[in-house]
Amino acid sequence: MSGGSAGRDAPGTAAATAGGRRLDAALRLLDRQLVDRDGRLCGKVDDLELERRDDGSLVVTAILTGPGALGPRLPGVLGRVTVAVWRRLHGDAEPGASRIPFERVAEIDSAVHLTMSRVEAPTHGLERWARENVVEKLPGAGDAPD
Amino acid sequence: MKRVLSVALGVLTAIGGFVDVGDLVTNALVGARFGVSLLWVVVVGVLGIVVFAEMSGRVAAMTGRATFDLVRERLGPRAGLLNLAGSMAVTGLTFVAEIGGVALALELVSSVNYLLLVPFTGLAVWLVLWRVRFSILENVFGLLGLALLVFAVAVWRLGPDWSSLVDQATHPSVPGSEGVPTYWYYAVALFGAAMTPYEVFFFSSGGVEEHWTRKDLGTSRLNVLVGFPLGGVLSFAIAISTALVLLPAGIEVDTLGQVGLPVSEAVGRVGIAIALLGFFAATFGAACETGLSVGYSVSQYFGWQWGKYVRPREAALFHTVLLLSTIAGVAVLLTTVDPIKVTEYSVVFSAVALPLTYFPILVVANDPDYMGEKVNGRLANGLGQVYLVLVTLAAVAAIPLMLLTKAGQ
Repeated sequence: MSGGSAGRDAPGTAAATAGGRRLDAALRLLDRQLVDRDGRLCGKVDDLELERRDDGSLVVTAILTGPGALGPRLPGVLGRVTVAVWRRLHGDAEPGASRIPFERVAEIDSAVHLTMSRVEAPTHGLERWARENVVEKLPGAGDAPD
Repeated sequence: MKRVLSVALGVLTAIGGFVDVGDLVTNALVGARFGVSLLWVVVVGVLGIVVFAEMSGRVAAMTGRATFDLVRERLGPRAGLLNLAGSMAVTGLTFVAEIGGVALALELVSSVNYLLLVPFTGLAVWLVLWRVRFSILENVFGLLGLALLVFAVAVWRLGPDWSSLVDQATHPSVPGSEGVPTYWYYAVALFGAAMTPYEVFFFSSGGVEEHWTRKDLGTSRLNVLVGFPLGGVLSFAIAISTALVLLPAGIEVDTLGQVGLPVSEAVGRVGIAIALLGFFAATFGAACETGLSVGYSVSQYFGWQWGKYVRPREAALFHTVLLLSTIAGVAVLLTTVDPIKVTEYSVVFSAVALPLTYFPILVVANDPDYMGEKVNGRLANGLGQVYLVLVTLAAVAAIPLMLLTKAGQ
């Protein structure tokens, strides 16, 4: 496994190359809003997957998002419970944190813009569950606001 | 012409939407007990909310990111989550107080016990959050809130001795009947009522709802710089009216009906009808704003799609939070807890939570990476730092003062 994780306190991850751009990954990427290609919000950059190149530089290879990535960054019991609940609800036996390959990032400004639709995003599960089991049971859920 | 109208509408709704149940009750209560000797706090509080609402509006217009989005990003997941828990506890408490306020206003109109009205009020609030377009919500309740101007009419008809009022307000002293800690306890409460954190969550998220860009900076500033101070005049009028009528009569305010007494004395039946409309609009509008603020903030922390600019099915988790918090709010009120007491506590705990909201806003408004050339200027930063000290002092003092004075008794 050459991949690592970029929790804010991990040493040596302050600067990383992202999509050919050098930037402070902890400051400019972590915890930023993810926006899909239609301008819809679809989660946060909860963690980053890093790879060390031969020259020793760190490269961001993927964005990790969802409870599986956020849980380990939360303190103590809360973090463990988050991960445990997420694993239990997840379909796979040994789920890894949901990852979005960095090639799917279109642009980074005050948010991280993706080239995918949020329906394809790996964190759509909870939102889909709430839509199918709560919101769509109520009258008028599909009506346009305008 | 259309532009002038829309700017005027924005300013008017900012005035009418400024006052909520916390301002109504706290100002009336303070006027009845301390006269005009605490009015200076309203001035300080209104300037504070102007400074930070302007900043958060500017951040929203420049980056498209609302307050809690940035709180998470600046503070990280741990401190951000603590901040979320604290801010939502206070905003939730305010939400309960506002729903209770609506029910109390309806009780005054209908003479039906407010507890019977609480479930219907909750349903009505949720229906508005579910169905009604954002701009309608903001404009209708904001404009109806202008009915509270009847308090200014009442003050004018009561014909006070202005020079002595101005003298008392500018040379404040603790009234003989009250202790010094009680005076400061209510100073903190008034400050918390004027600077309630949800106002900033709502204002910045509203900017994103309405797709503000840098072109809208002028409009946003005008709403804040003109609308909020004029809204503060409503707070003034409420406090002065109870100072003129209730203080000499020795009546203390512990019901919503007593807040309206000066109006019925000075303006009569028509006046009280208008005041009741104002109570209803102010509390109902604020109930929607606080409810939305809970949904906005939780969604922004986790990055979920939020907002009324998309269909409910596209913001499913956001609408689930709105639904659950409305049910929780109604449930709390049905325990028969006194909504006026909830209101009094909500403004004090607001004071405790103030630094949680205002510190991250100040940091982001100074970050050129987000803001480009629209970072804070000297004035905004100077005022921002002074207020950061003030909100921290108020936050630290609030709980000790509450214990010391047995919540102002």
